[in-house]
Amino acid sequence: MRNRTGTALLAFLAAAVCGLMAVGCPKKPPTTTSSATTTTEQPSRPPTTNVAPPAEAPSGSVSTEPLSGDVAAINRAGYLKDAYFDYDKADLRDDARSALSANAEWLKKYRSVQFLIEGHCDERGTAEYNLALGDRRANAAKEYLVSLGVDASRVKTVSYGKERPFCNQNSEDCWQQNRRGHFLVTAK
Amino acid sequence: MNLRKTLANALGFAFLAAAAAAQAPAPTPPPGQPGEMVLKITKEAAGRKLPLAVPALSTPGIAAMQSRLVDPFTATLRSDLEYTGVFVIADPAHYPAGTRDPSTAETADRWLGTGAEILVDTRADVVADKVNVEARVWDLKAHQLILGRRYSGGVTYVERIAHTLANDLVKEITGRSGIFLSTILFVSDRDGAAESSKDIYAMDFDGRGVRRLTTHHSLALNPDARNGKVVFTSYHTRFPQIWMMNADGNGAREIKTGVELNASPALSPDGTQIAFVGSARGNADIYVISTAGSNLRRLTTTHALEASPDWSPTGRQILYTSDQTGTPQLWVMDAEGTGARRVTYSGNWNDEGAWSPDGSKIAFSCRNEGDFNVCVMDFATGNTVQLTSEGANGHPAWSPNGEKIVYQSKRGGRTQIYTMDANGENKRLLTDAGNNMQPIWLP
Repeated sequence: MRNRTGTALLAFLAAAVCGLMAVGCPKKPPTTTSSATTTTEQPSRPPTTNVAPPAEAPSGSVSTEPLSGDVAAINRAGYLKDAYFDYDKADLRDDARSALSANAEWLKKYRSVQFLIEGHCDERGTAEYNLALGDRRANAAKEYLVSLGVDASRVKTVSYGKERPFCNQNSEDCWQQNRRGHFLVTAK
Repeated sequence: MNLRKTLANALGFAFLAAAAAAQAPAPTPPPGQPGEMVLKITKEAAGRKLPLAVPALSTPGIAAMQSRLVDPFTATLRSDLEYTGVFVIADPAHYPAGTRDPSTAETADRWLGTGAEILVDTRADVVADKVNVEARVWDLKAHQLILGRRYSGGVTYVERIAHTLANDLVKEITGRSGIFLSTILFVSDRDGAAESSKDIYAMDFDGRGVRRLTTHHSLALNPDARNGKVVFTSYHTRFPQIWMMNADGNGAREIKTGVELNASPALSPDGTQIAFVGSARGNADIYVISTAGSNLRRLTTTHALEASPDWSPTGRQILYTSDQTGTPQLWVMDAEGTGARRVTYSGNWNDEGAWSPDGSKIAFSCRNEGDFNVCVMDFATGNTVQLTSEGANGHPAWSPNGEKIVYQSKRGGRTQIYTMDANGENKRLLTDAGNNMQPIWLP
């Protein structure tokens, strides 16, 4: 834990320096391969340097308008986007980072919103292991939001492993639907 | 003990005969890749089973008890004895009529002619609504009575009497405890509402007598039990917590750990400690906490994902899953968290390990390619056999006497609970309503 925090801090500092210098910093290759083959699958590793460049200075975008509707209506409206993952991984893909960045912008606008991130997994793999994997996914999404300036006290995480699938077919499309960090607003 | 010797001789003889005749040749193992242990399906030529004659319960002078008494008693007794995997029931169609007392050579020979070597003679009388069953078990070759016992109880408990006799017979002949009054706990969505809720259930060893133990209207998962106490994970309060209750479902209470996830709780053999999967900031590790909810300790400190702890029968070691080498594999460590070492090397996913009651073997969910299966490893040698091949199988647990393994299997659309002998034979389906999973056998 201490090591990981240290690593994250170093990565953050490096990213900050890169941000200032704007040149000469290696870009991480995107990790977007979505693989259905189980035999060549590499293990999930803890999300390593998922720290984004420092957030832009606030651009006066804090909303003075309250959110209309109750929490259920807000969730139905789908303001917060889910983050999707590769098989047996909790690393944030580019599409997940985009979704989370958009979520961060929205959450900075509506600063009283409290929310939950549910970690979900596809049906492959054991139920017990998937609970831990879902926990890792939910926390990877949370840490990225926090790195973008969202207050950690606003978010809770819960893992459902493969217990609450969004889709029940036996196909990669369906499995991809089930590998996600799902966002739910719990208070506005 | 005379009969044990008989059995030992019979099985010993059978072993030699099987080795020589090889009437059921073992399948040729698939060619292994270099440096990789080959898993194979066991189809071991099992030792010859000891043949028993089990004539129907006789009820001299009592009419109209066939369906209430004779049929359920006889069917239960035969089913139990065959389920052991040690006995085979000689065909009742060939049983001689008339006397059952084989103390004379003439009568004994008539029973031996059915192929049986042991006669299980039972007779009953009924007084009011109470039944008395007298059982006499004969060694037909030695013309000797090896077990004589009386049982009594309400007529409605006739199956329970049959189970008790079966337990006594197994104990007398094999020296091991029978499982015919034992209980299996499991997780099911059979009464689940729309939001796929799951609860903990109990059933008899043969799948009968299902009763619901929790009504949490959420997810109640992964029960484990020792000394009459059951621990499990519940999402009753939205976030998963460890709960403990009595084996009948009463007295449920939450055990607050102070960490997240709280998955896969496992009670130590003395029932005082709970090993479980806890998480802090998305890093799942094995933790231990007392059943009083105090003295939380983190046993693993990797950045990898740890899961599925199980105590050794001595309580000195903990078996668990870790993906620290790149794939989920079984590891073992001291109960203090020291001395971790890897246990499985073959296959790309080994998980949900369960120690046999004598500590000599581990059963686990194994996958090389395709679906998961149930594997058993000899802990000392590392020799591993795959015991299942049909469907997606997993979450094995041992019967208290180590003779059976209960596990889940998904065939077609649904997951159900099966049992099998510890060598993979004699597979039986126990459930059919809804999905049923994560079974454990109460010690």
